[in-house]
Amino acid sequence: MGIQDRLIEDVGLRRGVSRLTPEKIETVVRSVMASEAGARLKAYSETCMRCGMCAKGCHFALSHPDDPSYTPAAKVAQTMGVLLKTGGRVDPGTFYGIAQLAYTECNLCKRCVHYCPIGIDTGFIMSMVRRICHKLGVTPQYIQDTAHSHSTTFNQMWVKDDEWIDTLQWQEDEARDEFPGLRIPLDKEGAEIYYSVIAPEPKFRTQLIYQAAAIFNAAGVDWTMPSQPGWDNSDMCMFTGDFEMMGRLKRRHFESA
Amino acid sequence: MNAAYQFVTGPLAWAAWGIFLLGSAWRLVAMYRLARKKDASAIAYMSWGYSLRSIVNWLIPFNALGWRKNPAMTIATFAFHVCLIATPVFLVAHVMLWDQAFGVRYATIPDAAADGMTMLVIAACLFFAGRRLAMPDVRAITTPKDWFALAIVLAPFLTGFLAYHQAIDYDTMIVLHVVTGEIMLAAIPFTRLSHMVFAVFTRAYMGSEFGGVRHARDW
Ligand code: HEM
Ligand code: HEM
Ligand code: SF4
Ligand code: SF4
Repeated sequence: MGIQDRLIEDVGLRRGVSRLTPEKIETVVRSVMASEAGARLKAYSETCMRCGMCAKGCHFALSHPDDPSYTPAAKVAQTMGVLLKTGGRVDPGTFYGIAQLAYTECNLCKRCVHYCPIGIDTGFIMSMVRRICHKLGVTPQYIQDTAHSHSTTFNQMWVKDDEWIDTLQWQEDEARDEFPGLRIPLDKEGAEIYYSVIAPEPKFRTQLIYQAAAIFNAAGVDWTMPSQPGWDNSDMCMFTGDFEMMGRLKRRHFESA
Repeated sequence: MNAAYQFVTGPLAWAAWGIFLLGSAWRLVAMYRLARKKDASAIAYMSWGYSLRSIVNWLIPFNALGWRKNPAMTIATFAFHVCLIATPVFLVAHVMLWDQAFGVRYATIPDAAADGMTMLVIAACLFFAGRRLAMPDVRAITTPKDWFALAIVLAPFLTGFLAYHQAIDYDTMIVLHVVTGEIMLAAIPFTRLSHMVFAVFTRAYMGSEFGGVRHARDW
């Protein structure tokens, strides 16, 4: 049992891996180890006692009770463990499995930290694996699309700048039928509450903005929403391992606030 | 035999303690330097309050989620670690050696109790070995390094026990005991046993991150 027995087809992973050679993988693994990986990764990989207590904490492990390869420590062994042991010299087929595991079998929730007596942060280790995957251009198609949207529009759903403002005005209009005095104040300096959403709200669940406005209205608080890019508080780049773009998003969001 | 005993309790003992203490100090300093260079964001979150809060909560049996979900392991590991440290430190025979060598004396535990604690450690080691073989979750992640660490810890307790009971040739057994004890000390900085040096810091960091960033507990 292990990741190689449960590979699934994903065009993003497949295309990324098709461009790789063991040498390329090795170069990137070494450069990440030399630059970004530090004491935390080293201490975690050395002091994990392989006691298996974390298995009781991970929902992936709990939902596969007969397959020990889903436990946090086993997932680390199959990904970062392999990369550390080989110095990164693995064949692209193996790397496909490493990427699939890091993106689809650990969602970086850090629940296992509550179950590990040593305090090993498996989520952090997996985000380092994803970092290597990103640098090698091996990311699942769908999440990469949202990350591309972030780099172009600063929101994850390709919502255009004017569509965003239109959406807010539309929701304000609708809500005023029900609550005549309601407003969605935009870019109000010095407001007490800065309210931001994730892009799927304007895209697919627009009424959520209406409902939030209704609550603020009823509560009578001094609130505002941003009109400019930076209004999306989500960050798919953090999840793909694109830490450069993650930094730009965070910055834009904080500046917007 | 006497010469061998003199050697292992003399120069070899100095070497073992030296490797253990200096090695651990060096590993800590090297790790701290690396952290300063590469993990500045993590160091920035380190907090005494959150660190101690996490460590204290993990030191209480059946308090942390991990302990509650693994009750047998909790009993075994607490018994193991307490006896592992208390037995050799407060053993009459060991304290006598400190007294002879440096004139230091301190409290001891009765031999009968020490003997029982030694058996507890041996039993816990067997329990750890058993779960590594029998539990699929644990079996899947066990590596030779883990067996090695377990063997290194078991050896001084087993040989100390056999020497105390004069079960097999005492003179050989006591030399063997001292050598295995020294191997254990010297191995601490460089094997899985280095968790003795690092575990407080990994836990302290997680306590700080959960406390300071997520405003949540990590136990
Ligand atoms: C410098 C190293 C050491 C020396 C010189 C030494 C010496 C001794 C001596 C003389 C005895 C008494 C045997 C008897 O009663 O006749 C003894 C017993 C014992 N030693 Fe050590 N020891 C050393 C290291 C260790 C270490 C590192 C451990 C464990 C971590 C350890 C655990 C024990 C135990 C558990 C017993 C007693 C067994 C029992 O009462 O059933 N020793 N040791
Ligand atoms: C003083 C600080 C120490 C701390 C905080 C500590 C903590 C831990 C923790 C959290 C584990 C994880 C698994 C479990 O709960 O059993 C563990 C396992 C273990 N520890 Fe320690 N430990 C310490 C010292 C030592 C020392 C001095 C030794 C031996 C020289 C040792 C030997 C072991 C062994 C052999 C295991 C593995 C058990 C297994 O095979 O599952 N520990 N320790
Ligand atoms: S609980 Fe912690 S120390 Fe034990 S196997 Fe899992 S990650 Fe390693
Ligand atoms: S961080 Fe990953 S390994 Fe840990 S509990 Fe969450 S999904 Fe499981």
